[in-house]
Amino acid sequence: MKKIGIITILVSFFSVFANYVFADGHSMEVNVFNARHYKADAELYGKFTNKTGIKVNLINGKSGALEKRIIEEGADATADLYITADAGRCGAMDAKGTLQGGLTSKAIKAAVPKNFRTSKWVGIAKRARIIYYSPERVTGAELSGMTYEGLADPKWKGRLVIRKSSNIYNKSLVASLIKNNGKAATAAWAEGVVANMARTPTGNDRAQIMAVAAGEADIAVANTYYLALMLSGKKGAEQQEAAKKVKAFFPNQNDRGTHMNVSCAALVKGAPNKDNAVKLVEFLLTPESQEHFTNNTFEFPMIDGVSPSPLVVNNLGLDFKQDMKTKLASYGKNQAAAVEVMTAAGWK
Amino acid sequence: MFYKNLNIWFFLSLLISFVVLIPILTVFSSFFENTSNYYEVLKNTFLKEYILNSIFLLISVLILTFLLGTGSAYLVSFYKFPGSDFFKWALILSFAVPPYIYAYSLTAFFENYGTAFTVLTFIFGEANYNKNIPKFDGMTGAILSISFSLYAYVYILARASFLYQSQNLIDLGKNLGFSKLKSFYRVILPGARPAIVAGLSLVAMETLAEFGAVDFFSINTLTTGIYNSWIAFDDLAFANQISFFLLLFIFLLFVLEKLSRRKAKYHFNTREGLKQKEKIQLSGSKSFFAFTVCFLIFFLSFLFPLSQMLYWTIKFPENLFDLQITDLLLNTLYLVILSSLALIIFSLISNYGNRVSNNKTLNILSTLSISGYAIPGIILAVAFITFIAWFDENIIKSFGFLSIKKLFIGSVLGLVLVYFVRFYSLAFNGIKSGYEKINISVDESAYLLGFSKRKTFMNIHIPFLRNSLLFVIILISLEIIRELPITLILRPFNFETFATTAYISASEDLLEAAAVPSLFLILIASFFIIITSKYILKINNE
Repeated sequence: MKKIGIITILVSFFSVFANYVFADGHSMEVNVFNARHYKADAELYGKFTNKTGIKVNLINGKSGALEKRIIEEGADATADLYITADAGRCGAMDAKGTLQGGLTSKAIKAAVPKNFRTSKWVGIAKRARIIYYSPERVTGAELSGMTYEGLADPKWKGRLVIRKSSNIYNKSLVASLIKNNGKAATAAWAEGVVANMARTPTGNDRAQIMAVAAGEADIAVANTYYLALMLSGKKGAEQQEAAKKVKAFFPNQNDRGTHMNVSCAALVKGAPNKDNAVKLVEFLLTPESQEHFTNNTFEFPMIDGVSPSPLVVNNLGLDFKQDMKTKLASYGKNQAAAVEVMTAAGWK
Repeated sequence: MFYKNLNIWFFLSLLISFVVLIPILTVFSSFFENTSNYYEVLKNTFLKEYILNSIFLLISVLILTFLLGTGSAYLVSFYKFPGSDFFKWALILSFAVPPYIYAYSLTAFFENYGTAFTVLTFIFGEANYNKNIPKFDGMTGAILSISFSLYAYVYILARASFLYQSQNLIDLGKNLGFSKLKSFYRVILPGARPAIVAGLSLVAMETLAEFGAVDFFSINTLTTGIYNSWIAFDDLAFANQISFFLLLFIFLLFVLEKLSRRKAKYHFNTREGLKQKEKIQLSGSKSFFAFTVCFLIFFLSFLFPLSQMLYWTIKFPENLFDLQITDLLLNTLYLVILSSLALIIFSLISNYGNRVSNNKTLNILSTLSISGYAIPGIILAVAFITFIAWFDENIIKSFGFLSIKKLFIGSVLGLVLVYFVRFYSLAFNGIKSGYEKINISVDESAYLLGFSKRKTFMNIHIPFLRNSLLFVIILISLEIIRELPITLILRPFNFETFATTAYISASEDLLEAAAVPSLFLILIASFFIIITSKYILKINNE
C-alpha cells in the first residue's frame, strides 16, 4: 500500500517536471496572467485559439498576488501578458520595471488613442466612473454642471455613498484629481467627500447603486458597466427593478470630461512568447472582440466603429464628453499620493 | 551515546523539519531588506487600525465560538431530546462551509434587494423592505462568518472532554445539592477547560490567519495588512512590523495552548474507573428548548449557507452548465491525494525518527517546524516564491544550472510543497498522539525479537497507527478542499479548484456564479465530515 503511494508521488512529480521541460519547445502558445476574470474573456481567448492556433494558457487571480509572482519570476518570466482592470495597476507595474516595450505595432497604434496606451501597456476596453442619482430625491438643478470636485460640496451632506479608499477605481479617480488639481486641493476635497458620506464605505460598486435605489443615499459613485449588468437581468429580477430607480450622470461635461479608465494588457519583461502576446493584444482590439466586450461586460469599446451595448446606450447615453487629456499613465504615478490623501481624510 | 543515535531516520527527520522551516525563515529574513518610504506618516494610523481590528475580531469570534461550541456540546453530551443523536454529528457539518462561502451567503441574503428582500416580497407583497433588513457586512459579517464556520473546533473538543468526564464527579455535585446550572459552572466546565481552551486556540489561529472572508468584507486586519503592504506596496519593512505583532499574538496563543494541554493530561487520568454516563432524558419545554438551540445553530451554520447556494444554483442554472465540474473535481482530488500521501509518509518518518533517535535538537526542530500552521497561507505562499527566486538567483545559477523556478513556481509540485508546510503540524501532531499510545517498551521487545528498525516500523507501528492515520487523512483533505490563498497564488496555468473558482467569481461581483462551485465544495466536504464523524462515534462506542 505504502509502496504504491510512494510510486504514485514519484510518478506525479516526475510528470509535472517533464511537463515543464518538454513544454519549452512549443511556441504556439501565450501565457496570460489574468486579473480581469470575466467569464466572457475566456470565450474570447477560445476564439483567438480557433483563429490562430495559438493556445492561451490562463492563470486567474487577484492582481496583487499575480504581480508579486511576475516580479519574483523576473528574467525567467512565465507570463507573457498581464491583463487587469485598472490603468493604475498597469502603471504601477511599469514603475517597478517589470514590463517591456513592444506593443507598438501599427494595428495597436491605429486602434487605441494616445492617452490610453504606452509602449508597454494598452487599454483594451473603457469604463467611466460616474455619478448615479435618485431622480425622486435629486433635482435637475442640483445636478446641473456637476463635477467630481462638486462631490465635496456641503449640499450633499449625508447623501453620498462611495466604496472604500482601498479600492483601485477610487485610487485612480483620486489620482486623476491630483493630476488635474494638485495634491493640496485634492486633500481638502477628500475631507469634504468624507463629510458628505451617508454611511461608512462598504460593499462593491453595485452595492453603492443599490443603496441609492433602496433610499440609503441620494447619489453614488460607481463604474458604468455595473448599472448595465443589473439592468440586463443577469442579477435577477429584483436588481433589474432596483436599477430602474437610479439614473446615470456624467460629471465634468463642461470642462475636461468624465474620468475614464481602462482594462489594460501589459507586456511582461522576459515574456517567452512575445510575438504571440502582441498578436493576442491585436486580436483583442479587433471589432469582433470589442463587440464581445461591449455585449458581455458592458464596457465601452476601445476602438472607433463599435457601439456600446444597447443597454448602455439606452440607459446611460452615448454622447458624453470623455476626459481625453489626462494621461492614464498618471493614475499609476499618483497612486501613492491618492492613498495618502484619502487615508489622511479618514476615508475608510 | 550521541553518535549511536545518528542514523538514516535521524537525518530524514532533520531534512523534513528543515524543508518545512524554509518558508518560515524566509518570512523573517525578507523583512530586513530595504524598502520603500511610502506613507511614512500614515503607518502608525494603519498599524493601530490593524491591531485594533484584529483584537476586536479575535475576541468577538472567541466569545461567539465558545458560546456556540460549548453550549451545543453540553446539550448533546448530557441530555437526550428529539434529534440529539442527529445533532451529535450534524453540528460538525459547519466545517464544510469555509468562512468565505459563509460571507457570500450572508451578503447575498441580507444586501439591498437580496434574498431576504425577495422572500419578504413573496410573502407580504411589494414594498421597500430594504431599510428594515439588517445589514450584516463589514466587521459584523466577518465575525459571524468566521464564528459559524469555526465553532466546530470548540464543539468537537468540548464534547470529547465531556464524554470522558467522570460520572462520579457529577454525582458528587448532585449530592452536594448543586443545581444543573451550578454543576455546569462548578464541575463540568472547569473539567473541560483544557479541551475548550485547546479548541479556542485553534479558532484563534484560524481567525488571525483568515483571509477570504476578511478580504471579502474589506476589513484591515494584521493578515490583510501584511498582504497589502508586502504585495501591493512592496513595503517589506512595514510588513515586518505587522508580522511581528501577528507572531506575537500567535506566540501568546501557543503558550496558552501548551499550558492548557499540560493540564489536559492531568484531567484525563480520571478516565480510569469511569462509570458509564447516563444521559438525562428531557421532556416538555426543556426538551423543546434544547432542540431549538441545537437546530438554530445547525440551521445558521450549515443549512443557511447551503440553501442560499442551492437557491442561486436553481435561480441561475446557466452557471451550472458553464462549469467544468469533472475537471474541478479531479483537480481537487489530485491535490488532496498527493498532499495527504506526502504529509502522511513524511510525518510518519519524522515521528519515527524522533522516537528512535530521541535527540533534543531534533525535538526542538520538529516543534518549531509545526509552526507553519500558525502562519497565514497567503504569507507562506509569497514567502515560498521569494525563497525559490532567491535560491535560484544566488545558488542554482552560480553553478550554471538551468533555472528551477518553473519547477517550483506555478506547478503542482510547488503547491503540494507549500500545503505540506502549512498542514505539516496537523499531520505530525495527529500521528504523534497516536504514537504516544504505543509504549516504547513495545519497540524494545520488537528489537529483542530481532526485528530491524524498518521492520518494527512497518509491521508494528503502522498497524497500531491505522486509526490515527485515517483521521489525519480526512482532516488534511478537508483543509485542502477549502484552502484558498495558497492555491490561488501558486497553481499552474489552466488549473482551477472549487475554491478558486468560487473565489474568482465572487471577487468579480458574480456571487451567483460562485454559488455552484461553493455548493460542490460544501457537498464534498460534508461527505468527508460524515465519514469522519461516523468514525469518531465508533471509536467512542456511541
